Amino acid sequence: METEQQVEKEKIKVGIPRALHFYRYFPFWKKILEELDVEIILSPPTNKHIVEEGVTHGFGELCIPVKIYYGQILKLMQDNPDLDFVFVPRYVAEVKDAYFCPKFISLPDVIKILPGVPKILNFEVNVKEFPIATSAIELGKQLGKGQNASLNAYKEAQKYFDEYHEFLRSGASVNHALRLVQRNIPFKLPKKKSKGDIRFLLLGHAYNIFDTFINLDFQKKLTDQGVEVFTIENLPEIIFKKPVIVNPRGGKLRNYWRHEEEIMQAIRYFLTEGRDEIDGVIFLISFACGPDSLISELIKRDMKVVGLPFLEITMDEHSGEAGMMTRIESFVEMVRRKRKKLGLGPREKSKILSAQGA
Amino acid sequence: MIISFPNMGSSWPAFKTLFTALDLDVVLPDPTNREAIKIGVKHSPEFVCFPFKATIGDFVSAINKGADTLVMAIDCGPCRFGFYASVQERILRDMGYKNIRIIPLDQADLLEFHWVKTLQEVSGRKDLFIYSKFVKAVIFFLKKAKLINDIQTAEGIFRAYERNIGDTTKVLSRLLNKLDQTNTLKELRNFKKVIKEDFNKIDVDKTHSPLKVGLSGEIHISLEPYVNLDIRRKLGEMGIEIHQSLSLYDWVVHKFHLNYHRKWLEHLSRPYLPMDIGGEAVWVLGEYIDKAKAGFDGFVHSYPFTCMPEVTARTIITNKLKKMYDLPIIYFSFDEQSGQEGFRTRLEAFADLMYSRREQEIKKTPEFMANGQKKIYPHFGDIFYNECIQLIQTQ
Repeated sequence: METEQQVEKEKIKVGIPRALHFYRYFPFWKKILEELDVEIILSPPTNKHIVEEGVTHGFGELCIPVKIYYGQILKLMQDNPDLDFVFVPRYVAEVKDAYFCPKFISLPDVIKILPGVPKILNFEVNVKEFPIATSAIELGKQLGKGQNASLNAYKEAQKYFDEYHEFLRSGASVNHALRLVQRNIPFKLPKKKSKGDIRFLLLGHAYNIFDTFINLDFQKKLTDQGVEVFTIENLPEIIFKKPVIVNPRGGKLRNYWRHEEEIMQAIRYFLTEGRDEIDGVIFLISFACGPDSLISELIKRDMKVVGLPFLEITMDEHSGEAGMMTRIESFVEMVRRKRKKLGLGPREKSKILSAQGA
Repeated sequence: MIISFPNMGSSWPAFKTLFTALDLDVVLPDPTNREAIKIGVKHSPEFVCFPFKATIGDFVSAINKGADTLVMAIDCGPCRFGFYASVQERILRDMGYKNIRIIPLDQADLLEFHWVKTLQEVSGRKDLFIYSKFVKAVIFFLKKAKLINDIQTAEGIFRAYERNIGDTTKVLSRLLNKLDQTNTLKELRNFKKVIKEDFNKIDVDKTHSPLKVGLSGEIHISLEPYVNLDIRRKLGEMGIEIHQSLSLYDWVVHKFHLNYHRKWLEHLSRPYLPMDIGGEAVWVLGEYIDKAKAGFDGFVHSYPFTCMPEVTARTIITNKLKKMYDLPIIYFSFDEQSGQEGFRTRLEAFADLMYSRREQEIKKTPEFMANGQKKIYPHFGDIFYNECIQLIQTQ
């Protein structure tokens, strides 16, 4: 009897690899899983060993974030052999008319065939076919929880996730916010606010921008040079209301990738109304990223028309620090010189960004 | 208005008839060549998939021949294909071709009949459904596509048996031209006989027992011979029988929800990949399992470099299916850097591997092979495939 009770008291252990969607949805997952009485085990931040492991297990043509995902899963299994589940969500569609990249859609299928992987805790988000609440109920079922418990957990998680987004829009960086979420600290902005004389928009997938190992701590490199950086997560919600038409003249195609849609919407704002808000755009893409290969081309062509400085940095596991540093430095230098030539002083506080904070 | 469309192997007569039957002028781009690829690579994004670059080259070649309206199929799936038409139009405009229009032909679900709208736009008529020529155009398109599919099936088999290397290729191009000239329903109905007769003229070596290889992958890459370095011909001339169910007809019928072969393949691959993720990923997995169960000797998977869905399919095959079914598989990822000689070496090595495996099998299980020929289960393939086999046996 006693042993049974002990077993019951022990929480289910679920591992979450720190890669891909982690940088986007972690607060949501954490809340929903904790509400469902689960102990979360996170893999450590990406390091050289993890990347190497991932590169050997994932084959050459995959993009580096997916390889890191492999590495993180393997690391998680090595460190915690007693895991009950690994959490590998399947994000198909988060809104009605947008997909995720095919690699995300098939993520659980690719992971479950790796040797020695524990059971996969599936969380399928596919609003084209069923609402997210249904996915939450399915998730609860796998953990032995009833419908009501799962629905409540989902509601709580959504509330928390909205708070998190509100916090990001007030100007917090994602890495800072994620750190607070991990340690269960209430959201509070850091005291010291970095101020720079020029302002850049840093574009790219969350897993490229906020994984500080693989992008060689890109954001810090910029702030060190006196650049104020913000990402699309910091932008107000209004920008993301209207869909982007990729080619208004031709087939009136709507962008059907979720994250790329956000990138395009942000860019559209800064190309039109917000033209004077920023000095330049940096787009960070990983090599062999399918969607970005097309999106970056479109953005590049738009930028040429408007005349906004644009830097596209492609990275993979072989990225060298020195080369990247040179490119950033020269880009920053170029933008500064341009401002000087035009006779503009240092940047004032941004309207659109500070409006949100108030 | 002069219409054109990009190359996709031997499927041009079908597309051509769709527009000529509507009394529109059609110009065909030159067969994809080095010059076209060069132009495509120069103006496309750096690591977009290869068909994008190849089709840009085709478009430029068609424009130089006088075309001003280009028709390009689009999808709305999760893969990059949906963006092609829009981005390509933009690129062409930036290249200086200001008056070019790319008309997207929506093929997401043909039963939604968006394609009728496209044809209305192209032909300038609003009353297509009561316009007899329109019905004729669609029927001709489907018929010709089916016949091209049959020609492809016969080509794959006959080339393995031919005595004089190159005969089948000649017959193939002659037949395609003949099909292009055939423009009455009566002749089209009898065209199957013409195909059989023409192929029957080829001098074949009945005693040869060829290896059987399945071929699948991304559709443009698998069908366009310049892009895939003519893999069908190279394998065939090594004396290997090629089975490729993938064709334009196969795809179009699938989009009309009538392709039961594909439904069967989806059923086979469901445990490993439960949903369509774009490209041909689901069906490649299905084909692999199907061919392995049928007792084939090998499988070739070809796809454009960094194609998102096909890369996923490849991962699943290498990590799981290969261990389960033990069918030798070779992957080719094509881009503008593909070289002829390395490609040939790999193919030859693959053929050697399959031959030695077969010998091993004969030694181990003599009853498994009926007179040196591997048995493929009797209901394999469609009717035309079995007719072709009979033709060779009775010649």
